[in-house]
Amino acid sequence: MTLDVFLLILRLLFIVLLYLFLMQVVIAILRDLRKTAANNADGFTGKAAPVVGHLIVVDSGPSSILPGTRFNLLPQTTIGRGPTCDIQLTDNFISGEHTRMWYRNGTWYVQDAGSTNGTYLNNQPAREPLPARFGDIVQVGFIRFKLAQ
Amino acid sequence: MAMISASAGIRRYRWKELGLLIIPFMILLLEMIQLPIAQYYVSQINSSQQKISFTTSLLPHLNTLTPILGLVILLLIVNVLLSFTFPKADQMLLPLVGLMSGIGVIMATRLGLSPSVGDPNLGTRQLVWVMVGLIVCMITLFSLRNMGWLRRYKYTWALLGIILVGLTLGNALRVRNLDSPTHDQLNFGPLNLQPSELLKIFIVVFFAAYLSENIDVMSESNIRIGSFRLPIPPLRQFGPIATMLGLSLLLFLGVRELGLALLIYGIFLSMMYLGSGKIIYVVEGLLVFFVLGFIGYKLFSYVQNRFAAVSIDVVHWQNWTQQTIDFAHNGALQIVQGLIALSSGGILGAGLGLGHPGFVPVVQSDMIFTALGEEFGLAGLFGLIGIYLLILYRGYRIAIEASDPFNQLLAAGLTSIFAIQALIIIAGNMKFLPLTGIPLPFLSYGGSSIIANYIIVGILLRISHNTAMQREGLA
Repeated sequence: MTLDVFLLILRLLFIVLLYLFLMQVVIAILRDLRKTAANNADGFTGKAAPVVGHLIVVDSGPSSILPGTRFNLLPQTTIGRGPTCDIQLTDNFISGEHTRMWYRNGTWYVQDAGSTNGTYLNNQPAREPLPARFGDIVQVGFIRFKLAQ
Repeated sequence: MAMISASAGIRRYRWKELGLLIIPFMILLLEMIQLPIAQYYVSQINSSQQKISFTTSLLPHLNTLTPILGLVILLLIVNVLLSFTFPKADQMLLPLVGLMSGIGVIMATRLGLSPSVGDPNLGTRQLVWVMVGLIVCMITLFSLRNMGWLRRYKYTWALLGIILVGLTLGNALRVRNLDSPTHDQLNFGPLNLQPSELLKIFIVVFFAAYLSENIDVMSESNIRIGSFRLPIPPLRQFGPIATMLGLSLLLFLGVRELGLALLIYGIFLSMMYLGSGKIIYVVEGLLVFFVLGFIGYKLFSYVQNRFAAVSIDVVHWQNWTQQTIDFAHNGALQIVQGLIALSSGGILGAGLGLGHPGFVPVVQSDMIFTALGEEFGLAGLFGLIGIYLLILYRGYRIAIEASDPFNQLLAAGLTSIFAIQALIIIAGNMKFLPLTGIPLPFLSYGGSSIIANYIIVGILLRISHNTAMQREGLA
């Protein structure tokens, strides 16, 4: 075998390996996408996520929501005006995505999601995640809720 | 109990990443074997006319492979470390990025041996930078314990970046050597740092933090003529962004860094679009850009020179006048030589070490794309661009899945840096756009660029890890 043939083989091998690698990554991506799609389908057809708490309107502020209205809380709940939020509140002082709440190890956490008018837990600004107990007052914009079981 | 935790550890291990690292390792070793053989072949073909036969004694010693084996081992260590510390971080970024920077190291080694670059340590230095970059990537992952830290001190980051670049450029202005290619470097003893590489990250952090806080306001205009809302962002909220943008553009244009100015403006447009969802802002931004570009073209002769190189017709070189030939030997030398290098590569390329990329000035950094094209051919270039596309895909996917607007904007903005930078410099190399000196991500020679890119990778990995942990209710 002459050296130029050997070098040609090496060159072709490089290109083959490069495209094999691309194929491997694309296959991994496709598998990933299928898994995500399957998970999403489960989310729609399977049973709904458990309700682990409620928010009860105490003071509706400037909005038209009636005090006493109960909202169900999922283990992960977003509150805001936007269409993707779990709890949608139509009020001019509520941001698109206003507040995030999540339930972990028996405790609720409240965090502001970068809103304009802020989120408060018992009048403390909740810029960082704050642990909340049942009975605490969660203020989203100017609307005040009580966290209940 | 121990068995349970061991099996959990095996399940948590990043097998996908490990599997994806195998072929990159094979490619890097293959190229490292080919390089000395090609060197020997070139040296023999000049002296003797008859065919040289292949013997196993030509295969390189193990110690010539040591550098690339070092990189391979470091990538494996990162894989293991990530499995124990950030098991949920994206598993495809590291193999993609590792292969890209490995090819960058091999290309730097090869170009350092060519007589016109004449720097046999070029590859070693690039290797050290990549290793430092991987370590910096891990440090970034660990130190970003709280992403709010990035968001809260947004003005500090932006000002820090501006001051760093300002100091460097002030220094360059003082010594009045704007034409030297290294005028944007800050020298710390033997290290030449380019703070502008860090500035692009700071700018993205600032834009992401600011836009995510004003996301509702930005998409609604508050300036009306009668009942017609002017399609411009509200001025009070737009002010800080415009100030940062103006400052960085002035800095770069003042010292003729057209490429970086273009990059910052591109980031600004894409993040404004991502933050507000209004295509009209992008259209307006492009209009402003063309107007400013036209004014710049009329005012500055160096901008005109760059455009003159784009209009040169290389295909019909037989019809060149003496004036064009002179221009191709001076102002347009890089472009013309780069195009000749690309075309001589053909479809399969000359093979690593068998081309003549040394004819292109500054081939190791700005023009690396032409060297890759000459030696790996069109097929190799398509493969490399494919890897870029996959890196971008992963980056934008991390952005889509992120949980809050700040992380989404940050991930998308950082990924856009790669996209815009690769676009500007590849188009520049191929004479689609005026050539501007910015590095090709991961492939170009240069420590600052490698480290900045690995910081970006670290932030992306951290965001993907945080998202996955939050989704599973663990964070």
